[in-house]
Amino acid sequence: MSRPGFVLEVDDRTPPLLVHEGLGFRLEEFPLGTRVVYPPESIEPVADVEQTIHDALHHPVDSDPLPSLLFAGMRLTIAFDDISTLLPTPQRPDVRQRIIEQVLTLAADAGVDDVVLISANAFHRRLTASELEAIVGERVFRSFFGEGLLVNHDAEDHDNLTFLGKTEADEHVVINKRAAESDLLVYVNTTLVPMEGGHKSVGIGLSAYNSLRHHHNHDTMVNSTSFMDRHSSELHASAWRMGRLIKDHVKVFQIEATVDNTVFPKSMGFLQKREWEWSIRDQATMLASRRALAAAPLKMRHRIFHDMRSQYRVTGVNAGEVEAVHDLTLAKVHEQQLVEVQGQTDVLVLGVPFLGPYNVHSSMNPILATCMGLGYVFNSYRGRPPVRQGGALILYHPLNEGFNQLHHPSYVDFYEEVLADSTDPAVIGPKYEQQFAQDEWYIHLYRTSHAYHGVHAFYMWYWASHAMDHVGDVIWVGGDRRVAARLGFRAASTLADALEMASGTVGTSPSITYLHNPPQLIADVR
Amino acid sequence: MLALEMFRSLPRTAVGKALGGRLPMVGSATTPLRLVTRETPSVDKDGWVPLRTRLSGICGSDLGALSGATSLYFSALVSLPFVPGHEVVADLQEDCEDLPKGTRVVVDSVLTCATRGLQPCADCAAGATNRCSRVAVGHLPPALQTGFCRATGGGWGQQLTAHRSQLHVVPAEYSDEQAVLIEPLACAVHTALRAGVTSQQRVLVSGAGSVGLLTTLALRELTPAGEIIVVAKHAHQRELALRLGASEVVAPREVLRRVRRLTGAFQLEPDFSSPYLLGGVDVAVDAVGNRASLETAMHATRAGGRVVLSGMPASADLSAAWFRELELVGSYASARAEPAGVGRAAEPRGAFEIATELAGLDAVAQLATGVAPYPLHRWREALDHAQSAGRLGTVKVAFDPRDTR
Amino acid sequence: MSGGRRGFWRGGVDDVRQVSRGWRWGHRAQVPRSAQPWVPESESTVFRSDWARTRPAIAAREVVQRAGLEPVFRSSVRTHVQGLDILDRLEGPVIFAANHASHLDTPLVLLSLPDRWRRRTAVAAAADYFFDTWWRAVGSSVLFNTFPIDRRGGTMATTPGEVLEEGWSLLIFPEGTRSQDGWMGRFRMGAAYLAHAHDVPVVPVAHRGTFAAMPRGRSWPAPGRRQLTVRFGEPLRAREGESVRDFAARVRDGVAVLLDEDSTTWWEARRRAAAGATPDPSGPRVAQWRRLWEQSASPEVEPTGRRLVAWRRDRS
Repeated sequence: MSRPGFVLEVDDRTPPLLVHEGLGFRLEEFPLGTRVVYPPESIEPVADVEQTIHDALHHPVDSDPLPSLLFAGMRLTIAFDDISTLLPTPQRPDVRQRIIEQVLTLAADAGVDDVVLISANAFHRRLTASELEAIVGERVFRSFFGEGLLVNHDAEDHDNLTFLGKTEADEHVVINKRAAESDLLVYVNTTLVPMEGGHKSVGIGLSAYNSLRHHHNHDTMVNSTSFMDRHSSELHASAWRMGRLIKDHVKVFQIEATVDNTVFPKSMGFLQKREWEWSIRDQATMLASRRALAAAPLKMRHRIFHDMRSQYRVTGVNAGEVEAVHDLTLAKVHEQQLVEVQGQTDVLVLGVPFLGPYNVHSSMNPILATCMGLGYVFNSYRGRPPVRQGGALILYHPLNEGFNQLHHPSYVDFYEEVLADSTDPAVIGPKYEQQFAQDEWYIHLYRTSHAYHGVHAFYMWYWASHAMDHVGDVIWVGGDRRVAARLGFRAASTLADALEMASGTVGTSPSITYLHNPPQLIADVR
Repeated sequence: MLALEMFRSLPRTAVGKALGGRLPMVGSATTPLRLVTRETPSVDKDGWVPLRTRLSGICGSDLGALSGATSLYFSALVSLPFVPGHEVVADLQEDCEDLPKGTRVVVDSVLTCATRGLQPCADCAAGATNRCSRVAVGHLPPALQTGFCRATGGGWGQQLTAHRSQLHVVPAEYSDEQAVLIEPLACAVHTALRAGVTSQQRVLVSGAGSVGLLTTLALRELTPAGEIIVVAKHAHQRELALRLGASEVVAPREVLRRVRRLTGAFQLEPDFSSPYLLGGVDVAVDAVGNRASLETAMHATRAGGRVVLSGMPASADLSAAWFRELELVGSYASARAEPAGVGRAAEPRGAFEIATELAGLDAVAQLATGVAPYPLHRWREALDHAQSAGRLGTVKVAFDPRDTR
Repeated sequence: MSGGRRGFWRGGVDDVRQVSRGWRWGHRAQVPRSAQPWVPESESTVFRSDWARTRPAIAAREVVQRAGLEPVFRSSVRTHVQGLDILDRLEGPVIFAANHASHLDTPLVLLSLPDRWRRRTAVAAAADYFFDTWWRAVGSSVLFNTFPIDRRGGTMATTPGEVLEEGWSLLIFPEGTRSQDGWMGRFRMGAAYLAHAHDVPVVPVAHRGTFAAMPRGRSWPAPGRRQLTVRFGEPLRAREGESVRDFAARVRDGVAVLLDEDSTTWWEARRRAAAGATPDPSGPRVAQWRRLWEQSASPEVEPTGRRLVAWRRDRS
């Protein structure tokens, strides 16, 4: 039986609560009266994943069954979400693999010869062969990769991009040429957070700078309140306009899988439990982990966390017409993640965990930590933010992981050059974005190495636009002071210090909300 | 006369060489320097005049010589034992030709044909006095400059002697500290004009010690350079560089990335070696003179660009110079007749004339307040300070032999 | 490096301190008030005790009781045991039903039993007290062979019935809790029910003096080697058609008669029982202080000629 999420009010009986901070965690004693939002426990997964996929493909919503859409001689393209969706990297077999295998089985039965699989990574880094293999599985990988039919989408390969037209809001729609010219485009999506999926899959995953710039910018992000709520998100409004235009040109068969909340493996079960329910064993594991992490050098801590495989179980698979499918997906995601919260508080406390969508097998650099804290976690609300306008945001992250030169070359320059000039997304966008977007070297690394596109660092900063616009004070507990200063924030060594520093903004006895995340939750603030 | 004397000490020099100047000199016995009472130096020829030192700077090349880091190439161009100190502000002790006794002067340290009583060599005749080819002959012992010569003495003593052709009058309104910067400024002027910067070219100055800072100033004042990117290790150097005309200041580990970003170059990562750019700045000045700095300068310069060796260079990988067809340009001391630049250097003039004008700028006057003088007997402290001047936020450490406290 | 190492250990100590305070080590962890509605139905938060009836545990208990408990017990109190002869006429398992006034009751009854019986007797203990922390569960299981029963009527990991079925005799205090004032309280029906359901005899056990020696709230017997008496009575079996309720009343009466007998004589007690005039074991309805006053006096035992040494079993 899974229990729903709820809001805890810290009282004298409450043990210290766990807060994630990068490659580690700490136990924090919150002031009495602090509201702590706990995610629902994992909901019931589907009993038989294979059968569920089978049913979804044969009885899709608002679409003909997949087998009837497949015919010999057709061009079939299967696009799938890259490593940025299910986090941490899930244990095998990946649900995308299971879906793709069934789709391919149907395609083989129908005699389809021309099949290409594309990782929809937009401006994300190209996946390595082993990362592709982990997603699609050994069988699919062996059959397609060597032939060059399992590829990463290349948003800078202008010969292989197609301009489909302009939306009513004058937005350019450009997508992958192969996908655009296919008789059927099957998109295999996994939705961990409600931001993903829907028209965002094809419209963003397979697009290029000319399209992305319309919604990946400061103005759009400030007006996406939040970008986790597609009905209040400018980002999604734009993606939906584009998606509807794409639909007129390409037949898209969308498959979306949802998962439960089982992030951590059993061995680290305490990370998944409510603290007062920790057994002696959990407490011992926690203490031992704390010591091990304290003794381990950064590199080893990185390994410990990044080698962890998430244990997500599939809670549903829906297929068919994009929008109809996505409505079902969102319902399932909300069932798993929504927690009702009454009203806003002065201070919002967030732990920034070791992993975000853009540092899989990589380091959580200060910009990604900002994107994670002020972007993803801050935006994990529906209705209004859990913190009032002008309140304070307190984040936990040491900001000490440095930059991965292979994956994030432009981030370093962004950090050293752009942020030194200004940290205001509205200022740096117009001033620097074009330079980074058109830098040949970044483009070269994006296309041939495993680097995020040059302009991606800007997108990360825009992701935090709404939070920066909304709160009056951002303080990083345990953060490197110099780094925090460069990011335009402040650092404190303890929560008490942070509250002291924030007292100028929110007074000496502010109301506090802490989102106990991960596992992922969406605060439904009334 | 009290003076610091550098003497021949094979063991000390050998040890110093082996350590490569890596260990702090104070407390170690490896410095072949001592405080002695010497005969007052004199050269009994026409045009020579005794001087009383007011202030004499410690230059990077002095430290190099003392720590044994300097190439043995120069061993034929010094005459041991000598009194170091070629950045000198001094008073004339006697009338000298047109200059009355008591005139405050700075010394152009190069010992040219004129000082040696020789007919000018071709370079001297052309005004390129720093290229004089007679530095080992004539009636002086072999020595490239005052401060490396047994006969003339140097600034690190209470008195020295110099030839009229070396003397440049210091304007009365200048402080001694400003004046002691004139000689290094003259070198910087020379470097800037040697760099051959054309309109709006990007220049990288690797190093923000006194050489780098003054070169930055000279580049900004005398050349039509566009962006000047200065590599600075320490925070206060960053501010000084910006004040002296740098458009960007970057930390050593950021250099390549920043230059790459500014110039849209491509960066390559060779195996077991430092990364380099394909593309980069038009002109780079190595104002440090160690291997890392020189390689950074070469690696950040575009093909066909120019690398100016301003510091006394260390050995380095010259692959880039060959492959990128770089022009490696040396810049030693300063010349009586410099090529033309822009601004104050629009007309070909002597480096010291320009340098004397530049020393009057507010930025330099400000810089001069950071000069740290020491009495001679505290030489160990002074050298130690000079060695970590960058870190300690000092632009120039100098000896004040008048001070006996 | 030494600084780092010191920091490492200090961090460890701080963590342990924080956790021990936050999770109330040695106490039951508490649930924040606002989390109460979300506490899952507790299936059984009781620690298991089956291991306590395995061979190694029995051997360990023998050692602990003989070498630890018994010397301590003997040195702290004097005992006077009567009526063990009835056990010779019985085959186990049986249910010993005793009045309950003190933590001394359990060791008193257990150590009064002949070895053969003692080794095969398990003690029913309140799950919510004895089995709610692991160390109390382990301690009481090793020392007294306790198994959990729920005084609120829930289901347990191990039911007393199972223990009986395994051939173990049970020591049950049907009052369910220690007396507040030394006088006997109401008997719950658990013991009678078990005897009824499993068709085993109930041996009433009455003891006096434990309240005087170590009442509620004391953690060690009062000094001066107080006198305790314990008396085993005739086994009772449920009669044909007798309800559990009636049988439970009979068990209580059995204990009451034994108490009477212990303070007077067998003959007088029998006669009063026959006349229905057995003194109420729940005591007279007088002022509380008088009830306590009476119970706080240790029973007197007539010297039997032989001088009582530290421990004596009357096996007559």
